Amino acid sequence: MQGTPAGGTSPGPSPMDRQTLLVFSLILAAALGQMNFTGDQVLRVLAKDEKQLSLLRDLEGLKPQKVDFWRGPARPSLPVDMRVPFSELKYIKAYLESHGLAYSIMIKDIQVLLDEEREAMAKSRRLERSTSSFSYSSYHTLEEIYSWIDNFVTEHSDIVSKIQIGNSFENRSILVLKFSTGGSRHPAIWIDTGIHSREWITHATGIWTANKIVSDYGKDRVLTDILKAMDIFIELVTNPDGFAFTHSMNRLWRKNKSIRPGIFCIGVDLNRNWKSGFGGNGSNSNPCSETYHGPSPQSEPEVAAIVNFITAHGNFKALISIHSYSQMLMYPYGRSLEPVSNQRELYDLAKDAVEALYKVHGIEYFFGSISTTLYVASGITVDWAYDSGIKYAFSFELRDTGRYGFLLPATQIIPTAQETWMALRTIMEHTLNHPY
Amino acid sequence: MQPRRQPPPAPRSGPGNPRPTAPLLALLLLLAPVVAPAVSRGAEDPAQPQDAGVRRRLLQQAARAALHFFNFRAGSPSALRVLAEVQEGRAWMNPKEGCKVDVVFSTERYKPESLLQEGEGRLGKCSARVVFKNQKPRPAINVTCTRLIEKKKRQQEDYLLYKQMKQLKNPLEIVSIPDNHGHIDPYLRPIWDLAFLGSSYVMWEMTTQVSHYYLAQLTSVRQWKTNDDTIDFDYTVLLHELSTQEIIPCHIHLVWYPGKPLKVKYHCQELQTPEEASGTEEGSAVPTELSNF
Repeated sequence: MQGTPAGGTSPGPSPMDRQTLLVFSLILAAALGQMNFTGDQVLRVLAKDEKQLSLLRDLEGLKPQKVDFWRGPARPSLPVDMRVPFSELKYIKAYLESHGLAYSIMIKDIQVLLDEEREAMAKSRRLERSTSSFSYSSYHTLEEIYSWIDNFVTEHSDIVSKIQIGNSFENRSILVLKFSTGGSRHPAIWIDTGIHSREWITHATGIWTANKIVSDYGKDRVLTDILKAMDIFIELVTNPDGFAFTHSMNRLWRKNKSIRPGIFCIGVDLNRNWKSGFGGNGSNSNPCSETYHGPSPQSEPEVAAIVNFITAHGNFKALISIHSYSQMLMYPYGRSLEPVSNQRELYDLAKDAVEALYKVHGIEYFFGSISTTLYVASGITVDWAYDSGIKYAFSFELRDTGRYGFLLPATQIIPTAQETWMALRTIMEHTLNHPY
Repeated sequence: MQPRRQPPPAPRSGPGNPRPTAPLLALLLLLAPVVAPAVSRGAEDPAQPQDAGVRRRLLQQAARAALHFFNFRAGSPSALRVLAEVQEGRAWMNPKEGCKVDVVFSTERYKPESLLQEGEGRLGKCSARVVFKNQKPRPAINVTCTRLIEKKKRQQEDYLLYKQMKQLKNPLEIVSIPDNHGHIDPYLRPIWDLAFLGSSYVMWEMTTQVSHYYLAQLTSVRQWKTNDDTIDFDYTVLLHELSTQEIIPCHIHLVWYPGKPLKVKYHCQELQTPEEASGTEEGSAVPTELSNF
């Protein structure tokens, strides 16, 4: 019984391999009437030379069959993957060891993996029907977040609505939540999270914040005053393609997923694609770089969607773009050391916001202009916002300072969101009290 | 990769003096020692914030580099430290030597799953002189730290970790540490600590005045074999470089025994250029030699 080879050449079981596994096994189980794979393992063997390869081929010929090759012996230096039934494990491992064949265990127990996969698939079909059972202290997939958005809007339709402002490169919806108590074209505040897809804490913070707004409206005097006079817009998943990719293939993916003919590296850094100092220092023209600015300003649909929306609206007074990590609160410019005209005001506001943040859990943030506090970066969101006339433009870098970096444990989601909220509230209050 | 340009030399201005004096053809970057207040981590003088911001960043980065070096030299996976707070420092720049930084800072134990964000309240203190040699990596470092853990306790913890490593199933499964949600299985902690120790050496060696590294994730432990009594293992880490935001995979091979100096060999992947990224390259490097114990 020849197995179908698993796809890919990477050493560990990639999600694509796992999918292949699942499909193969399910078909097999169906065909053979619900087989049980408990304790079966998949071993990966690296044969050094032809001699070792032929030893592996000998295994193939054993009767009764003891192994099932998923990736058969082909050449030395190409990995050989074989499924070994539980009952044959001892024999096969002894065989490998005695012949000096190096192996590693790719899958420790196939049945466990199958069960997990099945559970995950069932779960994804069983999308929650209300936000009360949504866990704010976990990280979620794109589908879960979009499902939450629909529930959230339904449950709070008096002040929340959903707007689609465009489509991503891979044609996913780009969604914005609008918080409004009515009126037409109130002065507005913009918040975006997830422009860099690996910064998972930002989406999680955004979701908690959205819920906080509806919870505190009518109870917190400051927030209520803000919402009576202004609208708040939150774009939770500013880079949906990248975000999906961090779940499926590469947890540390930063850019979007745009592809251009003749260019073999994928993706543009969405925070270098704005029309402000585009292409300058702190961005890169190499498409393989993490800070690749793209072929031209606003070339990326994810950026163009926001530019078009904010420009058409015409009445935004504050813009806050949320990133991680480093624990900083910053204002323009990123593209140069030149101070903005209201630098003193922004300095003082950042100072107040950071102090309000600190009071929650004692977490210390640095603050200042982007170029002096973090690094020089050109073509960034807040520089564009400021140059477009939005006086209160801020960029957050949330927890932590490098201990976990992008892989911030889910236990820190709520504390991070709580402290960040106090800083956001400070900025929004100042914006309310300083109309222009 | 585009080199990050140095900020222009800052015009001299004393505290409380908002108008800058004529900028010097400065060899000196700054002289005034910095005291960072606990909460107001902002510019001391907002009229010239670039001085304070740049200075603070430089001191932080020097302190981190010093800690990579310190951790590697200490050679103890149980006694790893991370930066708590920069307390004071100053920097000099001259065309011959490069950038010299004296910095005093506090540290805390590196304990990934510690319940308190700020650590256990035990702070060690270090003072270091770090010299970044004109865009070249491997800064020269002199660092001394006060003791954070009793020597005996450290030796005991190292030996315990050593035994835990020895008892791990062989060959090891390939796992990601931490997982994508930031969690580290306690069973796998010794691997992580040892990987962090080895990575400290790599990060120190790669650090320049503009390039600063963090350990993002351990993506595979390829083979772990015992060779007499030492621990000998190969692994791949992903390093995160802050100014370019690049993720750099490094293959590291280390040999360790409690109390003995750590031996590390490594190879990190270069940034791809558009020509190299042909799309048909083989995936991440597989070692050409594997052997069972």
